[in-house]
Formats: sequence, structure tokens, C-alpha cells
Amino acid sequence: MRPFTLSKPSTISQAVSGKNEAVRYIAGGTNLLDLMKKHISEPDALLDVTTLLSDTVQSAPKGIRIGAMVRNSVAASNSDIRSGFPLVAKAILAGASPQIRNMASMGGNLLQRTRCPYFYDITMPCNKRKPGSGCGAKDGENRMSAVVGYSEHCVAVHPSDLCIALAALDASVIVTGKDQKAIAIPFKDFHRLPGSTPEKDNNLPENAIITSIDIPANAFNKNYAYLKVRDRDSYAFALVSVAAALQLDGLRIREARLASGGVAHKPWRWYEAEQFLKGKEATQATFSQAADIVIKEIKPLSNNGFKLPMLKGAIEVALQNCLTA
Amino acid sequence: MGFFDNQPDIQHIPEGRIEGIAKVTGSGKYAAEYKVNNQCYGVLVGSSVAAGTIKSISLDDAKQVAGVIDILTHQHKPFVPGFADEAKIKEAHFGLPIFYTDKIYFKGQPIAMVIAETLEEATYAASLVSADYTIDKANVDFDKSHPGIAASNTGKERGSLDSWSNVPYVTEAEYTIQNEVHNPMEMHATIAQWTSDDKLKLYDKNQGVNNVQRTFAKLWNIPTGNIEVISEFVGGGFGSGLRVWPHTFATIMAARQVKRPVKLMLTRPQMFLLVGYRPASWQKIKIGADSNGQFAGIWHIAKHSTSVYENFEDGITRITRMVYKFSNLKTESAIVPLNLSAPTWMRGPGDCTGAFAVECAIDELSYQLKQDPVELRLKNLAIEKDPENGKTWSTNFLNEGIQKGATMINWKNRQPVPGQETDGDWKIGYGMAVGMWGAGRGKAGASIKMQRDGTITVRTAMTDIGTGTGTAMQNIAHDFTGISKNNIKVELGNSNLPPAPSQGGSTGLSSISGAVVATCEALKQKLAGYASLQNDVYKDALAKDILLSDTGISYKANFISYASLWEKNNLDLVEAEASSGPGEERQKFSFCSSAAHFCRVRVHSKTGKVKIDKMVCVVDGGKIVNEKAAANQVSGAAAGGIGMALMEEQPVDTRYGSLVGNDLAGYHFAVNADSPIVEVAFINKPDVNINPTGSKGLGEVGIIGSAAAIANAIYNATGKRLRNLPITPDKILQA
Ligand SMILES: Cc1cc2nc3c(=O)[nH]c(=O)nc-3n(C[C@H](O)[C@H](O)[C@H](O)COP(=O)(O)OP(=O)(O)OC[C@H]3O[C@@H](n4cnc5c(N)ncnc54)[C@H](O)[C@@H]3O)c2cc1C
Ligand code: SF4
Repeated sequence: MRPFTLSKPSTISQAVSGKNEAVRYIAGGTNLLDLMKKHISEPDALLDVTTLLSDTVQSAPKGIRIGAMVRNSVAASNSDIRSGFPLVAKAILAGASPQIRNMASMGGNLLQRTRCPYFYDITMPCNKRKPGSGCGAKDGENRMSAVVGYSEHCVAVHPSDLCIALAALDASVIVTGKDQKAIAIPFKDFHRLPGSTPEKDNNLPENAIITSIDIPANAFNKNYAYLKVRDRDSYAFALVSVAAALQLDGLRIREARLASGGVAHKPWRWYEAEQFLKGKEATQATFSQAADIVIKEIKPLSNNGFKLPMLKGAIEVALQNCLTA
Repeated sequence: MGFFDNQPDIQHIPEGRIEGIAKVTGSGKYAAEYKVNNQCYGVLVGSSVAAGTIKSISLDDAKQVAGVIDILTHQHKPFVPGFADEAKIKEAHFGLPIFYTDKIYFKGQPIAMVIAETLEEATYAASLVSADYTIDKANVDFDKSHPGIAASNTGKERGSLDSWSNVPYVTEAEYTIQNEVHNPMEMHATIAQWTSDDKLKLYDKNQGVNNVQRTFAKLWNIPTGNIEVISEFVGGGFGSGLRVWPHTFATIMAARQVKRPVKLMLTRPQMFLLVGYRPASWQKIKIGADSNGQFAGIWHIAKHSTSVYENFEDGITRITRMVYKFSNLKTESAIVPLNLSAPTWMRGPGDCTGAFAVECAIDELSYQLKQDPVELRLKNLAIEKDPENGKTWSTNFLNEGIQKGATMINWKNRQPVPGQETDGDWKIGYGMAVGMWGAGRGKAGASIKMQRDGTITVRTAMTDIGTGTGTAMQNIAHDFTGISKNNIKVELGNSNLPPAPSQGGSTGLSSISGAVVATCEALKQKLAGYASLQNDVYKDALAKDILLSDTGISYKANFISYASLWEKNNLDLVEAEASSGPGEERQKFSFCSSAAHFCRVRVHSKTGKVKIDKMVCVVDGGKIVNEKAAANQVSGAAAGGIGMALMEEQPVDTRYGSLVGNDLAGYHFAVNADSPIVEVAFINKPDVNINPTGSKGLGEVGIIGSAAAIANAIYNATGKRLRNLPITPDKILQA
């Protein structure tokens, strides 16, 4: 790891003004330290934000505000989150390991980088790590890679589980930028597609800091499911994951949310399928049709054709599980 | 005053590990945890290309880093007598001639070692070393390469292929397994210290201190006794510590060069590259039976990868020649050199790979025959004689193991036709397979030191890599002396102690148990000698009739306390040493351990997910010395089998001659969530011929055949026959 300095800003304005290209915020460090050890990120300085940012969860009638420094494990066991937004807790618990969740912050989770193995190996080509060097995964080991929204420059997926639930629930990310103003970025606009600039994972304004995540109050706390299909049953990233949530009138679907991980460079919402589900009866046949709509959208790569049947199955099962949650 | 006065009373926990407290409290030291006065740190730099020649290495930036002491390369290293010239290097059979070649054989091959005052400085400086290469074409493509390499006979052909060409039932299929990496929890590490010009002290992670000692005595041309190797605590090995690797040698060279103790611990990424792996394999099986299900013949071809600088033979077809009666048998093999580092033995080496193919093929045949695979196996087992040499098995209880396992899993609930049992989206199936392993034994030594208070320390050079060897030694010493366990301490893993073979190949306990028993007898005899000065009856006492207790010795009701024995003879420490090894019994008998694996799996028809519902493993390991440690070995091996069957796989990118991924987030082995509590049972009948305790090794058999049992259960559940490991959800969905 390259030598760096470490300091602890005491105000948000200090943090933001101390930040530049060669400086990184560090929260739990569970991703950043690995990136530094592997020479993927080589900052001159780190700003430790662990005592600066809020580590509390505030509940209000219009929604919930989760401080950026709330640890993943704390969020997953918070009673307001568990009762009002249980999909979030479920998604968090499907990720990483207890030890990592104890360290990982909510803000850091949003900004974790892809697990594409070429990205993590500096001897390999990777446009995301080194723009212009090529994409190792596109015609190589792309079993875990994207099936939708990718470009010829990058086929990586966003690895977070939490973010899939946040995308499904229309969360927004509260950030403070260089101008010291707090703004809210809708979750669907927070992460990016790779296009020709895969080095950019998201639309967080340069040097801005995440202070909290807001989730609007909703009625998706009864019929919801998070299904993660993976090679091993704990401590593995998703082959595909599905966050599903329904609002039901009897058997009729009033509102539906459907999002997936392991499929795209960003948490992916299946808007068309959601639209389709609205007003239909919550039956296996309906779910199967919704899944068919989803898989029409996807274009697998050389080694991940399996994601098509897997996604279809996972969506059917996740929607079905909403009825028994 | 006893040894354990101030220690937690772990000995009273039934079957507890003697080193358990030391391990969980951190007081037990693994190689990298020692601090040697004046030590500095080494970090290896790997080649960024997979084949070629080093043109130049640029060290300037690295040398600027504060704290850097020196940097070893092929152009700057100490003189090593065993590597003095090409001929010597060849003769040394060491493998990669680290720092004695400018050739690159695989990506990540060490090209330099930075030595600095701190680990951080060494790590940073290592990242600044770069090299220029003449690049050659690298080949890491096993699938494309193996068809071009012809297989040749391994072992004598029995009967002929022609003679069973007309049998009614024949299964012919190909099976493949990807590279698998050991990845024990503890990373390999060495601290090397030259205590004088020709005396070397090593704290090292390995599975055999005497092997390390011998290897370096030869290379440095110094007496074996001048090298002390300390490996008291070893955090797992699975075979990766059975040979001496280049990084250990590099550390010794570094210590020589900078004239200070040097510590090197491999990084996790380097663990994927520098300490072996189970090589990728391709196998083809043709097996035939008559309409009764009597096996008519088998033809087994096996190929696996190796490195271009060193040949490694895994012995995949060995098991085919061992378990069943085949009057016609042909086994062939080949190795396929690739630009990858050298593979090595990994738990159940060879047999584990071979058993996957053979035991799946037999399962396939059973469905053709419409015969129960349990019955089919029982009918064809070579239960009396070793089919390879015609010798009688000293003991072989595989038939009993199979029967017991079938009862434990409720085999009668299995549907003979695949795909019949379902639970919602889950399909349920049963599978079984067997494993066998030659029960070896090596010559081993042990000694016992006895104090005046009656406490003893049993000592050997053998390592305990987590297998429970030390605990078993204590248990055996207790059984054969009568001294209570609380009064028995163990010291091991140090080359200054009586020599013993490496801990591997399921021979550890079998080898050391004989030595411990012999030493217990030597101790009794020695004490009887002193006792005879006090009481004549002891003159003719034979060890087997002498009893020891915590307080004294007795023979035919003549008790003499240790206190008086010590006092009368003016004793300080009483020491006995003995060794014991295999003998004529090996001419008369063949020896084997075996396991019968059964499992019930659920396969999700929509996501392809496989869950192991129940896993049963019945093991014939002779007499079980410590049931808890033995069961622990077997369930760990079974979990290894789950990993092998369902997830372990180290991919390579053939375009870049490179491994893809090198961390434990991406390389999946099974965790608790993937494994049920494995139900382990033992036959627990002593093999009276193998050694004085009657115990046979069982470290390997727990994994040999378990992947096949799982693949067979998946077939029974789904009707999908998956012949390529690992069976990940994608393969299920696409089959
Ligand atoms: C082995 C392993 C397995 C994992 N498995 C999973 C999994 O299955 N599912 C899953 O979802 N996740 C998984 N994770 C990822 C884990 O959830 C993330 O590493 C973690 O959430 C990151 O949080 P952190 O606080 O440690 O971030 P850090 O590592 O501290 O920071 C990550 C990035 O965010 C930036 N940052 C942090 N906080 C802020 C802020 N407030 N404002 C602006 N920038 C900030 C940092 O500068 C850095 O660039 C895994 C991680 C590991 C190491
Ligand atoms: S998919 Fe993206 S992250 Fe992976 S190698 Fe290609 S550019 Fe890099």
C-alpha cells in the first residue's frame, strides 16, 4: 500500500473543503483498504469520517433517515427499519459476513466498487480501473457480469445487496458538495451505466460527501422478499438477486416493486414488469408473465447465459415469497 | 505441583484438544507470530507475465523507500551450493530454482524479494519493483491442450479390453474438475535465522519439520543437525505444507544476504500461486457389467495439468485399481504442462479426483442396470483381497460402512427413478459413493520425559496441523501407561525432537502411535530398572505387566512411589526414547481405510440452487483413538467435499496466461451455511496388524468420494447428470 496521511475532520464543511482528487473519505474501510492494498486506489490522504457523520436512524411520518455512518449490522437490526422497511434489513443480511457488516457503513456500501476480478488485478486490462486499457471481462471470465445496461467498455455489475432494496423503495441519497449545500439525489439517478466512462460508478458530485439515506414511508412492509442466488450460501456475491415488494388489496396487486442485483452496472429496476403487475391478481401465472417481461430485456454475454433462466426463476420465486413473508 | 496447576482444566472436557486453549487465546504461536530479535521483513514480487525471460529489473524506486535493506533478484543473491550450476539445480529436484534463473514459467513467479525494516516498508517498496521481459507465448489452457497429449498405461493391465466388448451394460463418459486451491486459514510463513555461518533456525509453516530440515541441509550443504525447524502450531495444510516451497528458500537466502533474521508471510493472493493446488483434470471412464450387475471391466483414462518447470503426478487412477473386483482393467494417465505454478497433493490427492469419475460412472451404470447402487457396489467390492497385488486386506470393512450408512440416511426412502420426490419447487434426491485410501505408516520416533512428580511430556518432531495428533498422543500415552491425562503434556513440531515423518497422507497417527507405544514401554522398562534396585521382583518385569499411575509404579502388587524411586536413585529427569515403524506385516497384508458417503440433496428447479439436506459418512479408520478429533476430521473433509462438488474452482484466463481472481471473496469453499451437521460414524474395529494401537489414518477418506455422492444425489433428484465440477447453479439450470 502506498503511504498516506490520515486525518479526522471535525465538521462536514471541513471534510468537504479538505477533499480533492487525491484524497478519499474512509468509513468502515472494508472496501477502500482492499483497493489500496491492491493498488487500485492510491490516495495521498484519507479523511476519517467515522465520528463525523451521523450514526443514527431517525424515523418520521414521511419516512426514515439513515445516517451515512450507521453500520450495516446496526441498520439491519434497527426496529424502525425492521418494521417499516424490512426489505432493507433483509437485503443487508444477505450481504457479506457479520464481521464485515459490523464495520461497513451505509454510505460506504453505496460506493463500494465492482467485484469484477479483472478490476481487482492490476496486471489485467480494465477500463474501469485504467480507462483505455480494454475490458478483460467482456470476452473473458464474465460469468458474474452484467446482462443488461452494459457497454462495450465495461460489463461489470454493482455488487451491493442493500442498494437493490434502496432502489426498489425509491430512496434518495443526501449529499453535501463543495458548495456546502445539501442536496438529495434520487436513488435511480445515483448509480450510472458504464457507457464510455466506466471509471465513473455514480453521479455523486466530485468531492461531495454522503450524509444520509432517506427512504420515503411506504406500505411495502408486509409483502416483500429479497432473494439472492449465489454459489455459496453465505459470504458470496449474487449471481442474481431480486428485491420484490407488493401492496395487495386482497389478491389484487395495487403496487409492485421489482429490482435486481447481479445484472447491471447499477441496481436495476424492472419498471415494465412492475407496471404489468399493477392491478393483476397475485398468482403464479401473473408472476411468471412478469418474469417473462423481465427476461425480454436482457442480453447475456458469452459465459452468463444462465442468468436468463435464473432470473426468470428468481423473480417468480421472489414474487411468490412476497405472499408468505 | 503439576504442570497444569495454573492452566485451565481443558483435560476434563471430554476428548478436548490439548492445545485448544492455546489456540483460542492466541498464546499458541504460528510461524509468522514469532518475534526474533533484530528481524526484518521480506516481501516477494511476482512476474507480471506468464512466460519469457527477464530482460531487466528496475529497483531504483524501491530502493528509495525508507527502511529498505536489500533486494534479492536473480542478479543479486547469496551463493547456494545446491544451486551452484545447472547440473546441481537439476539434481536438487527442488522445483522452481528461485533467483537462480531469468526464465519466467508462470505469472506471479517471484522475481525479487524486497527486505526492509518493517512489513509496511517492504510491501510498499515491493510494489515499486518493475521488470522488462522478453515475452513468450504462454499456455494455460488445459481443455485445449490435453487432447494433444497421449495417455499411457499406469499400472499393469488386467485381462483385456476386448474381452468385455460384448457385455450388455456399458457406461462411457467424461468427467472434468477445475483447479482447486488449498487455502488453509494460516498463510504460509517463514522466519529464517542464521545463528552462525552454518547453523540455521527456521520458524516455518509446513507439515513435516524433518523434511524441511533435510531439504535445506542438502541445498546449503550443511549437516542436517545444524538446522532447527520449529512448526509447533500449524493452521491447516490440506497438503500445501507437504513439500518445501520456493518462498521458504527465498527467505533463507535473504537472511543469508542481509545477515539478519528475515520474516516472510505470503499474502492471500500469493497463496493462490506459490503453494500448490489440486490440478485441473479430465477423465474418461468406460465401465461394463453383465446383466446381473457383475462388473466386467473398466477403462479409465485420466489427465491433469502440471507446470512446465516441474512434473507432478497426482495418481488419479490409483483408486480404480483398489476398491472393486475388475478382472479386466486398464488405467492410463498423462500430465499436461502449462504455464502455471506447480500443483501438489491436496486432501485425498489423486483418489479424490479419480473417485469422482469412477463413483459417478458406477452410479450411471446402476441406473442402466436398474439396480440399487448400494447393492451394485456391495456385489462388486474387493472386500477380501487387494486386487492390485492379491494380498489379503488386513482389515477392510467398507461393506459394513456402506450398510451402516444406508441405514443412517434411510436409503430405503430413495426413489429408484430420478425426479420423483418433490417439495414445492425443490426436487429431492439421494446419492452415495465410496472412498478408499491406502493406510500407510512410516517410521517415527518419540521420547518421554518424566519428572519426579509423575508428570510426563511426550515428544516428537511430527507436526499437528489441526488434526489432533498431539491430543491423540496424549490419549495413547494415557492408555499405555495409566498416567492420567492431566499429567501428560505433549511437545511436537520441532526438529530437535525425535524424528518423525510428515503429517500427511493419513499416515500421521498410524506412524506416531507406534512410536508413542514403544516409548511408553521403554519408559516402563527404564523405571523397572530403577525399581529393581529397590525390589528384586522388578528384575524380570516385562513392560506389558508394569502399571504406572500418577503416584508410582507397580508390578504384581509391588508398588513403589515415584518419590521414593527418585530419592533412592538420586534421579532428576527420567527419559526414554524409542522409534517404531512398519515391518513384515506389509509383506503379508494390504492396508486400507475407507468411507461410505451418503447424502440427501434438494435442488431448486427454478434457481438451480443445491442444498445438502443430510450428509452421512461412515469411516473405517481402525480403532478410533479420540472420537471427537476423528469426527472433526471427517466432517471437515465432508465439508471439503461439498466445496469440491458445488463451488470450488480457480478459473484461468487463457488469453493472459493468468489466474482470474485471487481472494477468498471470489474463491468459494463451503461455509457452515452450505453444510448440514455431518453425521459421522465409525466402524471402530482395530486393525491389529498395522500398528500397536490398531488405528488407521482417516484424514483423506472423508473427502474421497463425497463429491460423487453429491453429484449422484443431484441426478437422483433431477435426472440431470453433471460430470463437470463444480456443479454451480448455472450448470443445473443449463443441463
Ligand atoms: C469479502 C467481502 C464480501 C462482501 N460481500 C458483500 C455482499 O455480499 N453484498 C454487499 O452488499 N456487500 C458486500 N461487501 C461490501 C461491503 O458491504 C462494503 O465493503 C461496505 O458496505 C463498504 O462500506 P465501508 O463503510 O466499509 O466503506 P469504505 O471502504 O470505508 O469506503 C468505500 C468507498 O466509499 C467512500 N465513502 C465512504 N463513506 C463515504 C461517505 N459518507 N461519503 C462519501 N464517500 C464515502 C470511500 O471513500 C470509499 O471510496 C463485501 C465486502 C467484502 C470485503
Ligand atoms: S467489466 Fe468493467 S470492471 Fe470488469 S474488466 Fe471490464 S471494464 Fe473492468
